[in-house]
Amino acid sequence: MKGKSLFILLAAITILSMVLAACGGGAATTEAPPVEQPTEEAAPPVEEPAPTEEPAPTEAPPPTEAPQASVFIFGRGGDSVSLDPAIVTDGESFRVTGQILESLYTFAPGTTNPIPNLAEECMPNESATEWTCTLRQGVKFHDGTDFNADAVIFNFERWRFTDNPYHFPEQVFEYYEAMFGGFDDASIITSVEKLDEYTVKFTLSAPLAPFLANLAMDIFAISSPAAIEKYGADYGTPAAGAVGTGPFVFKEWVEGDHISVTANEEWWGGRAKVDEIIWRVIADESARYLALKAGDIDGLEQATVEDLADAENNPDLYILRKDQPTTAYLAFNYKIQEFQDPKVREAIAHAINKQGIMENFFGENADLATTLIPPSMWGYNDTIEDWTYDPELSKQLLTEAGFPDGLSEVTIAEDIVDADNNVLFKAGDKIPLRLYYLPISRFYFPTPKEVGEAMAADLANAGINVEMTTEGDWATYLAARREGRLAGLYQLGWGGDNGDPDNFTGYFFGGGAEPIQREGWYQNPTLAELLNQALVTPGQENRDPMYKEAEQILHDDIARIWLFHTRVPLIFSAKVQGYQPQMVDADNYQDVTVTP
Amino acid sequence: MVRYVIRRLISIIPTILGVTIVVFMFLRLIPGDPAVAMLGEHATEENVARIREQFGLNRPVFLDREALKQGDLKGFFNTQYLLYLGRLLRGDLGNSIHRRIPVAETLAQRFPATMELAFFSMFIAIIIGVPVGIISAARRNSVLDSTTMVGSLVGVSMPIFWLGIMLIMLFAVTLQWLPAGGRLDSGIELKTITNFHLIDSLITLNFAAFVNALQHIILPTIALATIPMAVIARMTRSSMLDVMQEDYVRTAHAKGVAERSVLYKHALKNAFLPIITIIGLQFGLLLAGAVLTETIFSWPGIGKWVYDSILSRDYPIVQGGTLLIAFIFVLINLLVDISYGYLDPRIHYD
Repeated sequence: MKGKSLFILLAAITILSMVLAACGGGAATTEAPPVEQPTEEAAPPVEEPAPTEEPAPTEAPPPTEAPQASVFIFGRGGDSVSLDPAIVTDGESFRVTGQILESLYTFAPGTTNPIPNLAEECMPNESATEWTCTLRQGVKFHDGTDFNADAVIFNFERWRFTDNPYHFPEQVFEYYEAMFGGFDDASIITSVEKLDEYTVKFTLSAPLAPFLANLAMDIFAISSPAAIEKYGADYGTPAAGAVGTGPFVFKEWVEGDHISVTANEEWWGGRAKVDEIIWRVIADESARYLALKAGDIDGLEQATVEDLADAENNPDLYILRKDQPTTAYLAFNYKIQEFQDPKVREAIAHAINKQGIMENFFGENADLATTLIPPSMWGYNDTIEDWTYDPELSKQLLTEAGFPDGLSEVTIAEDIVDADNNVLFKAGDKIPLRLYYLPISRFYFPTPKEVGEAMAADLANAGINVEMTTEGDWATYLAARREGRLAGLYQLGWGGDNGDPDNFTGYFFGGGAEPIQREGWYQNPTLAELLNQALVTPGQENRDPMYKEAEQILHDDIARIWLFHTRVPLIFSAKVQGYQPQMVDADNYQDVTVTP
Repeated sequence: MVRYVIRRLISIIPTILGVTIVVFMFLRLIPGDPAVAMLGEHATEENVARIREQFGLNRPVFLDREALKQGDLKGFFNTQYLLYLGRLLRGDLGNSIHRRIPVAETLAQRFPATMELAFFSMFIAIIIGVPVGIISAARRNSVLDSTTMVGSLVGVSMPIFWLGIMLIMLFAVTLQWLPAGGRLDSGIELKTITNFHLIDSLITLNFAAFVNALQHIILPTIALATIPMAVIARMTRSSMLDVMQEDYVRTAHAKGVAERSVLYKHALKNAFLPIITIIGLQFGLLLAGAVLTETIFSWPGIGKWVYDSILSRDYPIVQGGTLLIAFIFVLINLLVDISYGYLDPRIHYD
């Protein structure tokens, strides 16, 4: 009997749903004609009810709202992790926090030069161990509280001290540790003092050359202390959002769907031209591009090669390319005996037709790399001549190295173990020569497998036969790389954080004198010493030659094969103007306009 | 019947427990962990070690034998799995490692999105699939029959991914009738109660939101419903054909019962057993298919979220999400079993 009533209930729901679906279907089609003209985003919700139900009241508001709010909708591949920039490392979080919050310094538009922002200037003492910063006056956080020396100190102390009540145990203040040497006593910043309401003094344990570049990172943006006190560990979550001093104010975050911000009427730099920005998550690249064509969004980042070609021929769209400092490379695992011979490394360097690969796979979206530091950054060495593409020379070098018949198999020089010390490759083992390609597409390596295949074909021409392989998914690949167990040639790359060359060469090779496990066991004490020296040498003019020298050492050593500096394509509707891509940090949206 | 249902409900407990063990074990068997995924190219030894410790990932997974050897019984049970189970029993699914917010909170928001899409798709699949199957069976070998069966074969073999993109191209880009993705236009205000947008908008009499939500759900529904619809149509047809060979159907025909009555009164009810079974199973596949549909149509449900969490090794999300999906799947199949009793009086549950 229960069964029967259940059935009746189900039937009722079914009939009800059918009726509703029918209603909806009708409504959807009645909605269709108006869409004929451009799109909908400029004319938000309130106008929609009119055709269906609601009577007079909704009719009234539109006239008063007359100057329609201009909304810029940007499509992106993933959601933000958190809007508290201090505890995240992903670009999708910074894309949003970069509009809501500001740092003491920022990067001049389209460059990696730090310029004052919330600070009016920061001046070092002679030894560059003390920096005195004068702060901008009259700036308010979005919650109405004042931006001043106390706010700066509150933020820096929160990041630094693990026992600070707002350095929540469940949060990871990753970048502070990475950029300022560690927490608590390990921190290079040993104190931040208030000299007066608008002056703070940073004391460092040693000179830190990229200090201003660090201050300019989106990560070290100043949050409202009152907001952090109010929300506690919820600060930065969808429920709380973020409270800063930036050109846009947090409005709402619907997880996995969109985040929106509105123009800060009081912004010290002058009100933004657009009224609202919405970042919509559209994970699939093709769907994202179609959403742009359908007019659902006004701009997007990252598209497939086919869609880029289509956009180039579409008069309603245009492409901007973000000149991020990135470098894709092919690394050697130095626990492979053959790779310890520079002749073999050189043979591989001469065997890959980088120019051909670039033309086929990247077009305008990349430049050839001859060094790790890209040409857009200072410290770049333009005197280095790249390895020529010369398969015959490769064969000759291989013969000289003792491999007249080419190279297909390599020998493990030392045990390669996993995290639990299980031996994966034993010293003396012979294994096929492997080329590991990235399991996912990264901004510096959009088509890793295809590029890997092209490289394999080039290498085969020179008698070097590789087995194409990868290692699990992204997290697995990263773990294997970190543990130095990608046993062969492997692809990887890097995107700069703060435009300082230490963040490139220093990060990779500035370790100690020991072989660096994370870097395929590469070892070069002279280089490490030079880079560590460059990190503490004050003055860009003094450091620049040091990084140039470092690049020369890497080149002479054939430490790695630098492949490409990629550009990230952005596609916009022709209605959008004024979008300003940044090299590092979030792009600037203040000047964006969207014509209806 | 009641005893049977209670028994079945109790039997869900070991099933769910099994799911937790399997998910827990497999997640930790795949190399790479949340610390490595979180740090990306930046990972240094110290950072990884510290994050592992911070999230208790350095503890033994199931039981700590070392602690037992030292006679530390509390330590023996102080393991990742048992701590998780303890929290689970208190209704706590834990916090996302990357997002640092309670998994339950996000599930409460995203799960209704997936269920709304799944139920709506299943509903469409049934109301179209079953009648098509019946008509095909009734007019066996007619042009109509061949057309619908070829059509359903195409439907079964259609990759959701391709179909989704084609639907967007046609209805969103070319015709501009429907939105290309999302669940609701960002300007639409909707007070959320159940987080099922169609239901919430009706409860609050917000018809603008209802129409908007309906416009958004149409394309993903078509993409998601196509395969189950085709399977249900084919199953209905073959099941009806089997039943129509039975003696009692021939008897009914011989007695001069009207064709319509034979079909719907005599044959359909008996043909329904395998159809219901298939519907239950298809529901599971539908939830799996939701990952792709949600990705293409930017539908903020749990499919894509759990999938991404596997890649980022956000263990609590994967555990919470799979647990809920498993629970729903078991529940649906329980409903299927109960419905057997209604459809076939010979089946007794005692």
